Amino acid sequence: MTSPGWSQVASRLWDVIVIGGGNAALVSALSARDEGAEVLLIERSDVIFRGGNSRHTRNIRCVHGDDSEWNTGAYTGEELWKDLCGIGTGPSNEALARLTVEASQSAPEWMYAHGGRFQPPLAGTLHLGRTNTFFLGGGKALINSYYRSAEAAGIHVRYETKVTGFEFDQNRCTGLLVEAEGGAHRLQAKNIVVAAGGFEANIEWLRRYWGDAALNYHIRGPRTNDGSVLANLLEAGAHSAGEERGFHSVAVDARSPKYDGGIATRVDSIPMGLVLNKNAERFYDEGEDIWPKRYAIWGKNIALQPDQIAYAIWDSQVQGMFLPPMYGTFSGPSVADVAGQLGIDPDQAATTVAEFNRHTAPDARARFDPSGYDGVSAASQPPKSNWALPVDTAPFYGIPLRPGITFTYMGVQVDSQARVQRVDGPAFDNVFAAGEIMSGNILSTGYLAGFGMAIGTVWGRIAGKEAALNDRT
Amino acid sequence: MIAHSVTTKRGGQDGFRDAKRQLDICNSCRYCAGYCPVWPALERRTDLTPGDVTHLANLCHDCRDCYLACMYTPPHEFGVNPPQTFAEERTATYHRFIWPAARIRQSAVLATVIAVVAMAVILVGLALLVTRGNALGTSDGSPYSVIQHGLLIVLVGAPAVYAVVVILAAILRYWRFTSGSVRELFHGQAWMSAIGQAVTLKHQSGGAEQGCTYPDDRPRQQRRVFHEFVMLGFLLTFFSTASAAFSQYVMSALPPYPVVSVPVITGTIGGIGQVVGCAGLLLLKRRSERGQTTPVMWRADFSFLWALVVLNLTGLLVLFVRDTPVFPWLLIVHLACVIVTFSVAPYTKFVHFVFRVLAIYQNVLETRAPVSPA
Repeated sequence: MTSPGWSQVASRLWDVIVIGGGNAALVSALSARDEGAEVLLIERSDVIFRGGNSRHTRNIRCVHGDDSEWNTGAYTGEELWKDLCGIGTGPSNEALARLTVEASQSAPEWMYAHGGRFQPPLAGTLHLGRTNTFFLGGGKALINSYYRSAEAAGIHVRYETKVTGFEFDQNRCTGLLVEAEGGAHRLQAKNIVVAAGGFEANIEWLRRYWGDAALNYHIRGPRTNDGSVLANLLEAGAHSAGEERGFHSVAVDARSPKYDGGIATRVDSIPMGLVLNKNAERFYDEGEDIWPKRYAIWGKNIALQPDQIAYAIWDSQVQGMFLPPMYGTFSGPSVADVAGQLGIDPDQAATTVAEFNRHTAPDARARFDPSGYDGVSAASQPPKSNWALPVDTAPFYGIPLRPGITFTYMGVQVDSQARVQRVDGPAFDNVFAAGEIMSGNILSTGYLAGFGMAIGTVWGRIAGKEAALNDRT
Repeated sequence: MIAHSVTTKRGGQDGFRDAKRQLDICNSCRYCAGYCPVWPALERRTDLTPGDVTHLANLCHDCRDCYLACMYTPPHEFGVNPPQTFAEERTATYHRFIWPAARIRQSAVLATVIAVVAMAVILVGLALLVTRGNALGTSDGSPYSVIQHGLLIVLVGAPAVYAVVVILAAILRYWRFTSGSVRELFHGQAWMSAIGQAVTLKHQSGGAEQGCTYPDDRPRQQRRVFHEFVMLGFLLTFFSTASAAFSQYVMSALPPYPVVSVPVITGTIGGIGQVVGCAGLLLLKRRSERGQTTPVMWRADFSFLWALVVLNLTGLLVLFVRDTPVFPWLLIVHLACVIVTFSVAPYTKFVHFVFRVLAIYQNVLETRAPVSPA
């Protein structure tokens, strides 16, 4: 049965319909509303789980001066640009990436004006305190504030509404098919903003590019991020952007749930210890960089190992120098003992660790400094560039790791007005995109902590405003 | 050895195990660090003991901000619910440290009413006995014409002393459980700071001075304001009593005191303040989310607030009718309320502030010492 609400919603010609309920969607809706548009926002999830991946975020990386109340120092546009170029293979589309960096500067002020609140950097993330601005209470609290502002501004929000298809007349979207409350409806809007996220929770889609390895990935956000809206757009002729294998992923605890484990399941012991694969061998320089600048590489590192599993091992010298894993740790008097508990070959694990220890510097303990790159390296195979203490002081600790995918990069191509581009011919007349669904225009392979929220905020503002002003008569 | 497994179910009998399970998730997340001191205090404790959980629960001001911000609340399989977990733990605190061990009664309303009535009957009998039948006919506005001075001191003083002794013992037992060293209880400066934080309800600010997200999903100052009415009102009535004693024993001025006098003015303002504050808190509580507390705490909150309303209303009425013939009767009702209140105070939500202030004090001690990683 259709509720009266839905028949009203379906009978109106909306100025802007925003598809999605996370950061980019809300920023789009609020921005469109600021321009006077009548806005409908449709969110796939219910109220409690609303917000997509944004509910798991905690900070945003924006350009700022040294007068920022919430940061420990200035972060210039040149520096953010350099950081962006330093990850993976650099930005996909240089012009759009530069635009993102420049526009990020005014994001925090906009956020504050729309209800967002900030807090000093969290303990354990102090190294991010200069570059990133932390949300008071994290991403869900930010999203809650945005929903409150949306309600106060007169934006209509519909939950548990799933888009099933788009209707197009040449370049123009003329109708939006949705399912809600058990019924199917056709909605109409002058303009559509698509901010519906990536396809990371769609294991079958991931499998196209990753094969059966994808079966072992954990998805850090909700299972609703199945990319169905992205698929609809690509089918309708939208030009794709970004690497199909591109994603942001981190190492998560292998004991964590398949979906929606969020921040609590990620592991940050890696730089302070060693990581073994299922053959009890090391495979990558654990001390290459401190997380979180390079933490994004560990999701992929583990994804490329046999059975997509790995094991972090450390000893009592570094215990307590990183956030405690939420599922606790396996511990024992020897590396072999811990390895046995983890289910890998104890003798091989002991050999691997002993071999590593043989290559550590005699004065490693004296020079070891967890607060920065200490250059205490081990010329082992593979080497460890920093924090290379011998792992030799009982008790020993270990936990199993899996790749945890945060979001996928491949999305739709946009221009500088966030208009979705077509494969053949010009852009769609009235379809705009913001957030993860267009992040592939900017990110290629690597990731910078907090930059997803910057993309969502910057492009939400552009998409919302452009949609509100498009074809206005 | 594996530390523990994360299950989706609550810990059942073993409250500590489930509290630890939830708080270990919180310690891996830490998003709430900006809301209140509970979360930074948790960060300083990476291997939780039962004493830690007790401390954190009593440091919690029950503002619900963390619940609204948390992406792991039910029905998420992690089932994180700090306000409820802490409410459970606070109930356990009151049970564990108040002698004799008595649970906060789920519904002691009837028993309390019976006690008040019984006490009133006893008072009437005593008053008549001592004044040879004249007590209830007088209306000169002096309480001592109704209940003889010495008798009044004994009747009210005995339960008051009892309550103070029980609470002092609870303080020592609580402190040994959460902190260990009794010597640490005597840092003057830390006490100043802790009492300042308690009196201003600093930790109900919601982190950005927007107030608590209570009773619905919107930050407001209402709860903090109403709670201030109750607290400051209570302190004013306490001050009123002390100033009356001062007038009597030092200035040799016996009651009734004139309308423009310190005892009457402070008592009146304090009484009205408490009634207004309690009424506000009751209204807010009715709208609050029951799933974020426990049934026991829910009832304890309601009965405590209602008891304060009755206590203060009868006190105000005594003042307003002191020149009328009903004065002796209302005075007896009020005195019965006071005596019963003092007797049962240690077993009601009244004691929450004792442990809350101790927890704030402990937090002050921790945060002014140089922070060492756990």
